[in-house]
Amino acid sequence: MNLRRFLAEAGALAALAIACALVSNAFAAKERRLELPGDYPAAFSVARPPAPVPFEPASAPAAAEPAAPAPAPAPAPVAGAEPKRPVVDRAPAPAPQERPSASPASPSVPDRAAELLARFPAHGQPSVEITGDAAAWLHARGALFLDARRSKDFAEGHVAGARSFPIWEAAVVKERVEALVAEGRDNTLPVVLYCTGGDCEDSHMLAQTLFGAGFENLLVYRDGFPDWKARGGAVAAGRGR
Amino acid sequence: MTLRDALAHPWLTVRTQIALGLFFVVAALPKIADPPGFAHMVYNYKMLPGPLVNAMALVLPWAELLMGVALIAGIWRKTAAALVGVLLVVFIAAISFNLLRGNAIDCGCFDVTAANLTREQRFRDMWMVILRDVGMLVLVAQGLLGASRVEEEGEASAI
Repeated sequence: MNLRRFLAEAGALAALAIACALVSNAFAAKERRLELPGDYPAAFSVARPPAPVPFEPASAPAAAEPAAPAPAPAPAPVAGAEPKRPVVDRAPAPAPQERPSASPASPSVPDRAAELLARFPAHGQPSVEITGDAAAWLHARGALFLDARRSKDFAEGHVAGARSFPIWEAAVVKERVEALVAEGRDNTLPVVLYCTGGDCEDSHMLAQTLFGAGFENLLVYRDGFPDWKARGGAVAAGRGR
Repeated sequence: MTLRDALAHPWLTVRTQIALGLFFVVAALPKIADPPGFAHMVYNYKMLPGPLVNAMALVLPWAELLMGVALIAGIWRKTAAALVGVLLVVFIAAISFNLLRGNAIDCGCFDVTAANLTREQRFRDMWMVILRDVGMLVLVAQGLLGASRVEEEGEASAI
């Protein structure tokens, strides 16, 4: 085969493929659009599943008591995709239940926020991993849950009250991060992020994005939605917020 | 008829190229329909610099589609078959590299949604993907052999 002819035909096929890719991406819906160039700081890092972290509930019930003045030790900080374990030192985890959305006008919000901060003070790192028991404890106290999975997975089922922040749908997640920042939330309050557990990195990637937007207390639910369902946590379906 | 004649017979070559083309068209369509899903798959291979992940996820499926269509339609079929062969070798190398370093991944070959498999199931699937791609390389070799025979006959008749 003539090499020149091969190179010309291969070049034409490649050029046509690039043109088709650029045109289709330009006209794609925002859920399907990719940003060029991509931004993946850990593109070469092979994540290893961390060892299970035992949850050690303290004896004192914390569900109804006011904020403890003595702060819990800060959860261990995390570097990139190799997070260390959080320190969870009090409060047994109540059974997960459907919670009312945390309204800024609710009179219980200050107490609840203080309780959350007493247990999970801002750590100032991109993320800290937490167990399912800790996630259930946070859910019962109205902590914000963000789902990093794709929007179609979120619509099929998610932690009740969670919001969809599909990290792989860059245009969508950018809008939602901006909207979240515009809400003027206290950036030191715990925010729980989850995906599908195991070696899923989506929640860590979302944590990096939110950390860059100023959030200082991002907690990654290590075992994610499969664990939440397995432990009988409250689940909702639909597109949600 | 020698074995080489039988293997390079136009009847077999046409069907082999159509089968290969269909494989690649079917593989390309889900990736074109869901670029973020395929970008996730490409990212999981952990072999490309971050800025190239999305570009690869956008261009590769269209390249697969065009090669598949070329093989089915019989346009530039030798070039298309050779490029398909190159892609298959790259896929085999990428899967093998991740097998060797213990990175269990969904191959993202025909489906861009995570299969929710265990690490062991993923490793087993990766071996199966390598075997399948080697089988497809055999089809590519037959296609190239048949296309070469057609070219030789064309040149001989021109002389």
